Amino acid sequence: MPLENEILVRARDLRKRYGDHEAVRGVDFEIQRGEAFGFLGANGAGKSTTMRMIGCVSEPSGGHLEVFDRDPHTDGPAIRARLGVVPQDNTLDTMLTVFENLTVYAGYFGIKRKEARAKAAELLEFVQLTARSGDQVNDLSGGMQRRLAIARSLINAPDLVILDEPTTGLDPQARHLVWERLFQLKQQGVSILLTTHYMDEAEQLCDRLVVMDEGRIIAQGSPRELIDTYVTKEVVELRFGGKHTTALAEIARGLDGIGGQIEPLPDRILVYTDDADDTAAALEAREIRPTSMLDRRATLEDVFLRLTGRALVEDEA
Amino acid sequence: MTATAAAWRAFGLQWALYRHIWHGTVFSSVLLPILYMISIGIGVGSYIDSDATGGITYAEFIAPGLICSVAVMMLGNDMVYPVFGGYQEWGGAYLAQRATPLRPVDMLNGHLLYAVAFRPLTACTLVAVVLAFFGVYASAWAVLAVVASVLVSASIAPWLFAWCSSLKNDAMLNAVFRFAIMPITLFSGVFFPAEQMPGFLQPLVWVSPLWHGTELARAATAGVAPALPPAAHIAYLALLAVGGWFAARRVIVRRLSF
Repeated sequence: MPLENEILVRARDLRKRYGDHEAVRGVDFEIQRGEAFGFLGANGAGKSTTMRMIGCVSEPSGGHLEVFDRDPHTDGPAIRARLGVVPQDNTLDTMLTVFENLTVYAGYFGIKRKEARAKAAELLEFVQLTARSGDQVNDLSGGMQRRLAIARSLINAPDLVILDEPTTGLDPQARHLVWERLFQLKQQGVSILLTTHYMDEAEQLCDRLVVMDEGRIIAQGSPRELIDTYVTKEVVELRFGGKHTTALAEIARGLDGIGGQIEPLPDRILVYTDDADDTAAALEAREIRPTSMLDRRATLEDVFLRLTGRALVEDEA
Repeated sequence: MTATAAAWRAFGLQWALYRHIWHGTVFSSVLLPILYMISIGIGVGSYIDSDATGGITYAEFIAPGLICSVAVMMLGNDMVYPVFGGYQEWGGAYLAQRATPLRPVDMLNGHLLYAVAFRPLTACTLVAVVLAFFGVYASAWAVLAVVASVLVSASIAPWLFAWCSSLKNDAMLNAVFRFAIMPITLFSGVFFPAEQMPGFLQPLVWVSPLWHGTELARAATAGVAPALPPAAHIAYLALLAVGGWFAARRVIVRRLSF
């Protein structure tokens, strides 16, 4: 029987080193049964490496990791038997049909042929690919292939589904369809672990998430908690006609003291504030008149920019 | 889960793939040996005195080698691109299997089960049956030629697996055909007695698994005494097989540790 608050994954000071490069630098987190847990971060932040360690295909270089109360070092196959994995590259077999991709994969888990066929049919229904059952994988669109990979990851009724950037490279419509399926899984009580660098994805799907940067966890909590902790309630977006980058940075310097943090972006300036009306008044007082001013609630993207913005700028420099 | 059960699970993929390509193998297993037998065995053979082939007809001489050669040629299909592709991001079977309870060694065993047992046992048996219609067997012991073909396959397959698993790009894949499969097929005493080769090339013959297998197979089909005691030929092939398996295991374990 699943226990409430059962911890599925427990990591303490988890590390991974490749030669001189330390990809994961001592991270701590716990993932509970039934929750959707996200790893958020830029490319190279250490998300995928952490996932691979949880997926028991990468040996940690240090620290402690337990998955389903077992040690990945000694119990890799037993742990993987209870995981569902959707890799970034899908790794679907292009020589097989859509249906065979599921039944063959079921065989790896020791699922009997008859049961595998029934389960495959049910999962194709779930990801809306029943009509494509006999087609070759190469004939499917990117979004369909990703949905097939999701169906494949569910073939063994896993206790935890791991998705590595599930919607990267998909068009907006395909992304929404994937989100819809994942949301449905979540509602069915399936525990989900995902990495993403899309803030809207994290915000929609994750109950709890950690933000990773350069191999470290720099913040963790629910999307709401992160927003409340790291950014102000509101954000005012200022645009100044055709002005971009350096010109905007110049204007941003003149905004010092207005609201909270000021974040110049290539096409607009973000002013983090607790009161948008006060900010508007302060701008007027300084005779700074943007061509457009948009007042909105702070999002996870703001948290991300606030926490890692400087690192990204340094990357580009 | 035992290692055998796990290997069977991994074999499931090869079986599913085989069901898509089996009709193509009929050409290599049935038509090709018939063509070889008619053109070389009977055609070329009509110019060859049986003294040159140890007192048996030329067709009888090449039949056992043909059975074993089919095993080698099949490895060119089963163990080169499929193994290399197994690690590629565009659909690598091993990468997909890595996320399941299968261990890298299970993937190796599953692939070998297909290439070393299933393929020669089906295709080489078919070849052997087809050749029987040419009246090239001295006795029912000829059936052991299929066992020899399995041994040949087992001695080469794991080395191909290790080599193709260690490659990061496909530029070197053709080297397998140029420097392994082709010379093995040509210089193993299949189409002419190995003693006919110049002395300095003889060592090439002795190291070729196909030569050892063909010697065994010829003893089975034509009752000709092999160059070495059968146990010595078998021991050589077995040693290569075991050594190759350990090499292949080492490579796949490394390749699939991230």
